[in-house]
Amino acid sequence: MTETQDLVKRLPNDIGGLPAEPIRQVDHALEPWEKRCHALADVLDYHKIINTEEKRCGVEALGAEMIGKLTYYERWIVAFANILFRKGILTPEALARKMAEVEARWDAENGGGKEGAAHRQD
Amino acid sequence: MTQPNDRHDEAHDHAHEEIGRSGRPGYYDIMETAVRELLVERQLIGADEIRRQIELLDSRNPALGAKVVARAWVDAAFRARLLADGRKACEELGISFYDDTQLIVLENTDKLHNLIVCTLCSCYPRPVLGLPPDWYKLKPYRSRAVSEPRAVLAEFGTVIPEDVEIRVSDSTAMVRYLVLPKRPDGTDDYSEEQLAALVTRDTMIGVVPARVGQEAVQP
Repeated sequence: MTETQDLVKRLPNDIGGLPAEPIRQVDHALEPWEKRCHALADVLDYHKIINTEEKRCGVEALGAEMIGKLTYYERWIVAFANILFRKGILTPEALARKMAEVEARWDAENGGGKEGAAHRQD
Repeated sequence: MTQPNDRHDEAHDHAHEEIGRSGRPGYYDIMETAVRELLVERQLIGADEIRRQIELLDSRNPALGAKVVARAWVDAAFRARLLADGRKACEELGISFYDDTQLIVLENTDKLHNLIVCTLCSCYPRPVLGLPPDWYKLKPYRSRAVSEPRAVLAEFGTVIPEDVEIRVSDSTAMVRYLVLPKRPDGTDDYSEEQLAALVTRDTMIGVVPARVGQEAVQP
């Protein structure tokens, strides 16, 4: 009972004051796509397409499991996609098609493809 | 509980080659490219905007905040303006705010030590400090800073005397904080540039004091 009440009272982002591990002073240089993702967030905010609070709520709406398992910018890009779907700006189908196109283009430019990937593993 | 994100931090503390040379882009990398290209195709964002924003992000680092702090240490009138309106005073020094955020500058004194956090996510005074370090965004700091700040500070090697109040400020999407650390003793003859070199990112988050002999390596 108490456990489910805690779930109701605290959404996944609301962790202030909870017990936690000692702090490890970790950091990493952003990967190129992570930096692009951060820049995309700023540009979406400038254009009033997705503001900072919508982004935060969008991450929260991913639910505790995804919040726990995805990395910081993975959560952001998935939240952006979901918010854009909900606002009717993109459709899941259009995104799936574009992702397949992006991947195929990379393969064409890099002589990859599934065969290439398999070959590299040999 | 182990933060699943930690795997990310540990796995990626080395320099990265350009994607495309080192391997296939991952699922989320592809998703980012796809979302961005669709938005450009629909003319919702400009084709060049992401590149320009990356340049802007790259231009922001703790050296800017250090410049603000050093000026406040040597110029009492500026300090007063900074404490009254952080954003306006930073803009006075040519630091533009590229977002809608307000900046509240919190002054450390002999009786008060300030610490900043964002318990809900990762809000941070990015126009003056650049992007936050990973530990600022992870659960241990976000959870514990508000409930046991002295223990948190001790993990950064910072021991604040019991008679000094510790005040923790929790950032929001619209309001960001910057700590104005205490000027270290023995710096009376320092130039403004020498003072700025004492001001590291972590002194402006409030997890460590500014110290002589701990000069920041500013990019």
